[in-house]
Formats: sequence, C-alpha cells, structure tokens
Amino acid sequence: MKYRIRHRTRYDYRDQVSQCYSLAHLLPRNTHFQRCNRSAITVEPLPAVSAEREDYFGNRSFHFAVQAPHRVLEVTVESEVEILAQRQSLSLDFGASCADVRAMLSNLEPEENIRAREFLLDSPRIARSQALADYARDCFNDDAPFFSCVRNFTSKIFNEFEFDPRATEVATPLQTVIEQRKGVCQDFAHLAIGCLRSLGYPARYVSGYLETLPPPGSPRLEGADASHAWFAVYSPTEGWADFDPTNDRMAAEQHVTTAWGRDYTDVTPLKGSVIGGGIGQQLHVAVDVERLAG
Amino acid sequence: MGTQELTFKPAADGVSQSAYHEAFTAKGAVREHWQYLLQSLQGLGGEELAMRRLAVDRILRDGGATYNDYSPGLVARPWGLDPIPLVLSSEEWSRIESGIRERAELLDLVLRDLYGPRSLLRHGVIPPELVFGNDAFLRECQGLSLPGEQQLILYATDLVRTPDGELRVMSDRTQTPSGTGYTLVNRQAMSRVFPSLFRDSHVHRLSMYFNKLRLKLNQLNPNGDVARVAVLTPGAYNETYFEHVFLANYLGYPLVQGRDLTVRDGYVWLKTLDGLSRIDVILRRVDDTYCDPAELYSDSQLGVPGLLEAARRGNVSIANPLGSGVLESRGIARYLPAAAKHFLGRELSLPTTRTWWCGDPQDCAFVRDKLDQLVIKTTSRGPGSGIVFGATLSRAERDSMLARINANPAAFVAQDYLDPSVSPVWDGSTPGRQMPLVLRSFAVAGDSSYVVMPGGLTRVGKSTDGIEISNRLGSLSKDTWILASEPEKRPEVDASEVREASAWVGMELPSRVVDNLFWVGRYTERAEASLRLLRSVLTVLKGEQLVAPANHALLLRAITHLTGTYPGFLDPRADLDAPMPELLSIALDPNRPGSINHSLQALMQAVDQVKDFMSADTQRILNDLRDEMSDLPEHLQRDYSAAPEEALDRLVSLLLALAGLAQESMVRGQGWHFLDMGRRIERGLLSLSLLRSLLVPRSEPYLEPLLLETALISMETLMTYRRRYQRNFNIGDTLDLLLLESANPRSLLFQLQKLEMHLSSLPDSVSRDRPGEEQRLCLEALSLLQLADLTKLAATAEGEFLRKDLDQLLSRSQLLLARIATTLTDRYFDHSLGQHPMRPDDNGSPDNPESQNQNQNQTQGQGQRQSQGGSDNEP
Repeated sequence: MKYRIRHRTRYDYRDQVSQCYSLAHLLPRNTHFQRCNRSAITVEPLPAVSAEREDYFGNRSFHFAVQAPHRVLEVTVESEVEILAQRQSLSLDFGASCADVRAMLSNLEPEENIRAREFLLDSPRIARSQALADYARDCFNDDAPFFSCVRNFTSKIFNEFEFDPRATEVATPLQTVIEQRKGVCQDFAHLAIGCLRSLGYPARYVSGYLETLPPPGSPRLEGADASHAWFAVYSPTEGWADFDPTNDRMAAEQHVTTAWGRDYTDVTPLKGSVIGGGIGQQLHVAVDVERLAG
Repeated sequence: MGTQELTFKPAADGVSQSAYHEAFTAKGAVREHWQYLLQSLQGLGGEELAMRRLAVDRILRDGGATYNDYSPGLVARPWGLDPIPLVLSSEEWSRIESGIRERAELLDLVLRDLYGPRSLLRHGVIPPELVFGNDAFLRECQGLSLPGEQQLILYATDLVRTPDGELRVMSDRTQTPSGTGYTLVNRQAMSRVFPSLFRDSHVHRLSMYFNKLRLKLNQLNPNGDVARVAVLTPGAYNETYFEHVFLANYLGYPLVQGRDLTVRDGYVWLKTLDGLSRIDVILRRVDDTYCDPAELYSDSQLGVPGLLEAARRGNVSIANPLGSGVLESRGIARYLPAAAKHFLGRELSLPTTRTWWCGDPQDCAFVRDKLDQLVIKTTSRGPGSGIVFGATLSRAERDSMLARINANPAAFVAQDYLDPSVSPVWDGSTPGRQMPLVLRSFAVAGDSSYVVMPGGLTRVGKSTDGIEISNRLGSLSKDTWILASEPEKRPEVDASEVREASAWVGMELPSRVVDNLFWVGRYTERAEASLRLLRSVLTVLKGEQLVAPANHALLLRAITHLTGTYPGFLDPRADLDAPMPELLSIALDPNRPGSINHSLQALMQAVDQVKDFMSADTQRILNDLRDEMSDLPEHLQRDYSAAPEEALDRLVSLLLALAGLAQESMVRGQGWHFLDMGRRIERGLLSLSLLRSLLVPRSEPYLEPLLLETALISMETLMTYRRRYQRNFNIGDTLDLLLLESANPRSLLFQLQKLEMHLSSLPDSVSRDRPGEEQRLCLEALSLLQLADLTKLAATAEGEFLRKDLDQLLSRSQLLLARIATTLTDRYFDHSLGQHPMRPDDNGSPDNPESQNQNQNQTQGQGQRQSQGGSDNEP
C-alpha cells in the first residue's frame, strides 16, 4: 500500500515576525512496517538555514531558521510512504503474558528492553497515578496474553470516551480528559499510555496519519483530516505493537507513522520560538492522505 | 600593637567529639604545615588580627563581593571571609589533586556515554530509570560534540574530611560550577591584607588555573583564529552574579545575557551598536534547560533561540556543554564506583560518600531500615530539593518521610552522615574557635587530562554542629592555602595584565549594556535634580527668607512638576500649609515613580547591569549611596527641626562623585557617549520642566526674586550669578545664564551642544552623509535657542498670566529633547520585539483558529520597564 501525504501548516501573526527558529517532526521515518520513499519539506519564506537530523528516538527532525521578516509562515510537507507488511498478522492470543512482560523487562537482553524501560516512566505530559492504574486494571490479567489485554483496553477507551475536537486543546491535562470522558486522538493516546505505564508496561506515543478517503465500502476513520496519534506497547518477546484507541483497532495499513516518543512533547509536529509577532497567532493545519495506485 | 595575648588551641566548646582537627593532632600539637601560619598570627596578636579582619571586610565590600539571596528587594549579602585560611600540605594536595583529576576523567566518560552509546545502561552498570527519569537528561543533546577530547570542561567537587582523616566527595558540580571567582576574590583580599605572611608561606598561585581555562576556551573555538569568548549570565538577579561580573572582567571576556545574543545563519552573534559580532565560545552560567527556548524550556527569557542548533552545527562551543547537568543527579554518585570499574578497571581514589538510591529495591530497603542514621536528599537538584537529617526527625516526621519515599522511591537518595573536620576560625574574640568546613575544588579540561586549581573555596559552617554548609545559608568562607614545597617564581598574574593578553576585549559592548548606561546617566541626573530642588525648598520652608507661607505653593508645585509625582501639590485638596508628609513621600517612597528613593533604586538596578564597565571605585560609592539611602528616613524625620537638608547634601555629593568617576575614568567609547547623552537629555528635560513651572506663570513682583533664586540654586548656578551680575535677581540675567550661556555647564545650550557632539560620533552618523533624525531634532533645538530674543522672553504682555514667548520656547525644546531620546532608543536598542513560543500544532485537531492568549506572558522589554518607572516629563 502506498500513500502520498500532504501536510500544510500555516501561522498568521498579528505583527511582523523578524526571526523564527523552528523544529519540525513532519517527515515520516522508516519502520519495520513502512518505508518513506520520498519526502520534501518547503518553508515559506525561505529559511536562511535548515538541516535534517535524526533525533534521540531515531525520528527525522527538521530544523530551520527564517530570518526574513514575515507575517505568515507556511510549512508544507509532501511525502510518499509505502506500508510494507500486514501489521494485523500479529496474533494477539499468543505471546508473553502480562506477568511475563513485567518480569522479563529487567533482563538486559534483548537490548531493546533497556530502551523500552524509558517508556515506563513519567514524561512531560504523562504522570503515572493510582487512578490511571485503576481505570485500566480490569483489562489486564497476569496470565492472559499481554497484547490481547491491550487490545481489550483499546476498546474500553473507545467505548467509554467520546471523540470531540472542541473538548480539549494542546495543553489539556490528562486528569481533565478522564473527568470529561471526551477528547481527541492525542488525549486518548496519552490516556492509554498513562494507564499502561501506571500498571508497569512500556508504552510510547506515535504521531502519524490516517488515510483520508478510504476505498468504497470501508468506513472513514476519525482523525483523518488532521495528523493522527496513537500508542505502541512493548513486549520483550514480540517487540512493539501499535494500537489506535480513537478507532478501536490496531494500527494497520491505513496508519502512516511519522515519529514516536515518550509523549506529544517529544514529537510535536512543529514548535519553536519567534521574535516579534505580537500577541496572538493563528494556526491552520491541512492534511491530505491519498492512496496511490500500485 | 599586638598587646592582646592570642593562642590557638585544639579544643573548643560545641565541636563534635569525633571531628578531625585540620590544624591539630589528636594529642593537641599543631600539625607541621600549620605551624608557620598559626605562629605568625599569634605574633600579630589579637588586636592586629581584628584590624586585619576589618580590612578584609572592607576590601570585599569595596570590591562589591556579594552573594545574592532570594529575599525581595535585591538585597545582596556581603561575602564573608575568615582571615585564617585552610592550610593543606603539598604532599597531601598531590594525592587530592590526582583524585580530583581521576573523578573528572570518569565523569567525562560517563557524560559522553550517556549522550552517546549508553553502554553503562546496556551493561547494567547504571539502571536506565536513573538516567531516563532524570529531568536533567536532555534528549535534545544526544550527539552534541565539542572540539577536543573531553566534553566535560569545567568541574567542581565538594570535599569533606571525615574523622578518619580521609577526604570524601559530598557532591559533584558539572552544570555551571560556581566558586572560582569567589576563590579568586578571597585570595586577592588575603594577599593584600597579609602580604608578608602570604609571601613567606609559599602558597601555590591560582593564576595557573585561570590561564588553563582561557587556553581551553580558546582551543574550543570551532571557527579558527582567536576565539571570541563571552560569559553568559542569567543577569543581576542571579545569586552569584557578582562572580559572573568578576570572572568576565578577570578573564577579559564580555559578560552577556541571553538577549544580547542572537543566532543568524547558524552562528551566534553579539548585538552591539555597530551591528553583529560573532561569538565562538560561550562560558555558560545559565542552566542548560534555560539556554534555548526554541527547543528546551520554551518560556525561558534567559536563553538564545536557536542556540542548541548552532551548537549541533558545530558553529559555537558551549562550556559546559548543554546536557551536562545530568551528572549532578545525586543518584549518579551511587553508581560511580561501578562506572569506575567499568571504564577504568579500578576504584576511585577519592570516593563519594556512600550513597543509596531508593529507586533500587535493595537500597530502598536499607534506607528505610537505617533512616535515622542517614541524610535524605532528593535525587534531582531541582527546586524544593531539601536535605533531611534522619537523626533529627520526630517519629511523625519519620513516618511522613517514609511515606514520601514509598510513594516515589526513585526521587530519593540517602547518604552517610558526614562528620566534617574542623579548623580554627577568627571571630574577633575567641581564639580557640573551631568550625566545620567543606572544601570546593575546581578542575578544567586540559590537553590530555584535567588541571586542578591548587586551592579552592573553603566554606565554614555557621554553627559548630556542621550539619549544613552552603552559601545560600549564609556561610563564611576561607581562602585555601596549598603550601608549595619550594617557592614559585612567577608572581600572581593580575587582572590588568590578563586583560591585555586577550586580543578581543570589550571593544564591542552589548547594546543592552549601552542601553543601561544611557539610563544610568538619566537616573543619576534625575535623582540629583530632585535632591537639589528638595533641598532648596526645605531651606525656604524653614523660613530663612521672608516668604509669605501663601507663596510656598509655587515652589511646592515646582517640586511636583520636576519629579513627575503627580498629582502631588497640584491636587486641589493638597495641604500646602503642611507639606512635610508629601515632601517626605517624594523623598522616601520606594514605590512612587519619580521619588528620590525610586530614582536611586532604578539607578542601582541599571548600574548592576553595567558594573563590569565602570571603575572599581564605583562600587564604593554605590555602597555609600545604599547606606545613605537607608539612613535617609531617620535623618530626614529626626533632623527636620534642625537641618534636614544636610542629609540630602550627602546624597548629592555621592551622586556628584559617581558622575565625576564616569567623566574621569571611562573610556571615551560608545558606552560613555550614551551615559553622557542620558545625563544631558535628562538635565535638559528637568531644567525645562523646572523653568516652565517657576518662571512661565506671572508672579507677584516681590515673589519673583525668590523664584529666580530657587531656579538658580536648583540648577547649581547661584554662585555664578552672584559673581557675574552682583545685583539683585532679575529675569533677563537669569534666563541668559540658565538657557543661553554656553560656558555654564548647567545651561540648556550647554546640554544641547554636548548632545550634538555625542550624536555626531554615533555609529549611524559616522556612516551617513546627511544628518539623522536625532541630529536634525538637536539642530532645531539649538537654533531655536540661539535665535531667541531675551527681552521678548522675559516680558509679560498686559493682562496675560503667562510669559507666552518663554513658554513656547521651553515647551518646544522639551518636545524636541524627548523626541531625541525616543529616536535614540528606537534606533539603537531593540525593545519592541518580545520572544515567544510558536503555538504548537496538536495531533488530532485540524484547525486551531484562535490562539487562547497564548503569549500574554511575554515579559516586557527592559526599556519599557525603565520609561514606565521614570518621569519623562513629556509635554
């Protein structure tokens, strides 16, 4: 399966911005399941300097600085990504049990264990808590296969929370999301990650896209007209697997990964600092994910 | 001298029984390396020692040595130095030195590993949670690399000697290790107060360390040629700001704040009046998370947006590198022995105090069990990192401590309680006094290993129980004398010599500094003018001249006009018969813009920003100003019946001294031009305001001489007038002298002529053929004045209440001067543009049409602060 993704971000400032220093996580990375065949990023006005780098988590980060005075900044990314394998082929009913996962994590082998332990801890936007552990506990059973428990937990969030883009904004704390039972994909991913970590399972935040217009007969998924987010969990024997609580499914052929990290703050699509601009800035984002023939 | 008997003895009250005595053996004999010092001090005698101690205090005070605490009002705590140094023998020091070097090497290896391959984690040497859960582990810094072998450039360690006589490390400093400047200050004071004792004791010099530091910073230069190094400070509110100023001056580097720097084309630049000047190496005194709002803490106003990316590009070197704070986690110390075995294959010869990390279940069990014998600290060094002594806890406190540990074990470490060694202290009365101490040592990366400073900062506990010793708690310090086995030949390198050695020095001032100098000029003048007028008014009110009380009103209103403390005496309800409360408020109220106190506070804040560009004597005057100001309320109120104006005289003299210093000792560079322009503009504006309120309204003929005299006194021109005219006051002569006399340094013409001279030397004017806006304005004001007809100015038309021509001239001149000030500020200082975070794009919401007041927390530019704070007397 191949996709072409267009992601356009536009900032409108009230006053002139004299300089802008920015960092984008907008270029899709390669994973076991996908290959990014082509990607191009354009920034308007033209940056004085820019560089693509690999960040701490292995994501592609793009640093740029605009030095020309501007009132509008536009960042457009066009990528072609090929989804390589059927992710669902992973069988959920076998594999390590919940108890095994927790026990095996302390082993130094495989090496990924060490990296995964980073995703057990609190992160800037996600603090573990008893309340989070309690919310998820009924989905997990020490003897049951871990991934099937995570799948059940994904359904629980889907069933008990309402997708509502007006309910939250970037900075809404997890506690509010739980109380309101409303939110967007970012909130559900953070919530799930918080619950999993509170129970002692490594979980990371995945930022990416969904196919905008699925083929006839398939449902249009929530969150397709924006960048999307979900989570991945780790089992020492099976590795990482991605789950999408917003759409009650595992991430599959329709999910394109951009970047991952501990939470949103590690993979913010676009952030930075501007000099000038005045008070108040408007942000418009448009995303289009198109399936390519062949 | 020296009549008072003085003997140093080993035992004293209150000292821990087990503590090791630095100066005495267990049997009470003076240790060999202490003998010369103690004998010499005893030879001086108690009285002499007391005198020298006072001399030490005075030198430190005059040098401006302070340690700011966090109390409101920017009260800086004077730096305390005990006149008895800590002495270490050369043999022992060489062991300590190699121990410190070894630790620095190990920490450097750990640092490179944590931001690189993380083999320590993969091999199970350090638990991943300790690193991954550490706020100071900055993932953004993965892969950063400085030129040269070491990444850890500056290192400091706090050492304590335990009762067994062995030294142990209490903590390691790798973020922005402070103390080298204080160490140097201590040394300078001691070598001045005890010159012969110091010379004959053969003490190791400190300059070698600073030379190595300068060398290393130069080697870090990624851009070739002589490195342009800057010291990055968080600013005058930082607790160790004094040291930043001192070090920058000593090393010969400009002291800059985040907003003085900008990143362009991937390089770092210093903003100066002449434009941008590249910076190659930054000696950092700002914590790493605050250094770059674009990538790290986005609300930081102390950093430089884009700095981290410039470092990644290898276009600027930052020492210590961003991210180095990770090593300061107290949990890292727990695993250093294992890391030493892993990397070096041996144990550290200078070990850390035994440490347990509660994130490890076994350690945690031990800590819970032995809580009452341990010292509990938070793992991270962030805010709220209190230190708890298990032995001092009540049962309930103990339970609550255990509950905190259980709730988040990884957040706590425990250490053995250290019983620090004690050393003689001279408090002026008890010669046997012994106090506990901690020694901070410093190392800097060198060619292949580290260079350790032969000396250090010794801090003494306030109390004899030695439980807590830190600067923040107000400790006393000591110089640290490492005795050389043979005398060193080279003399201590002094600051001026060092400054000359550096090729790139102070030629380019950050524009912020020039901005502040401009305001130093304005506030000095503002405070001085208000003081003068207040003084004249107080004299008149005391009734030495025969003035009907009803006519005081005009004078009182002049004060309101001049200070801008509206409504003041212009308020119709103001009690002009009992003006004293309002006059006191104009003098003393610190929260009233325009009051003398307020202007002086603003002056001192501006001076704090530019200390390093002013003469060393400035500090003495500032200290006296501060003292005089704090005594003023008492003087004014007590002396009202007697001579209140005398208290004001002293302040006026100090301000004159300050002005004199600037005139006599400042290099005639841009800084001086702006300082003097600030003064000229302010003096012009204030005189205009004063003359408008006193001389423009028509007054009763009998009152006119008094008004003229007041104007002359306030503008320091009375004597000149008397000498020149030798007749009664008359308006024509007065106007001539105050407005048009170019030989009178107080006249308006004089201010404008000086201003014209300064304006033509500014960078923009030099590069332009035609006069700039501010030059045009100045020219207009000058010609207005020179073309003025004195007779017409002095006249009042029949039936008019005003001298109309005079009013027109004065108000137009006011407008022009005020515009010159704004034009200058706009052209040269960049205040208008705040820096703030971009609104982040979230996953899952397509549009974010209205930002929710995202950026209302932007801090105000400092120009805004100052013009709000002062009275600009805009017409």
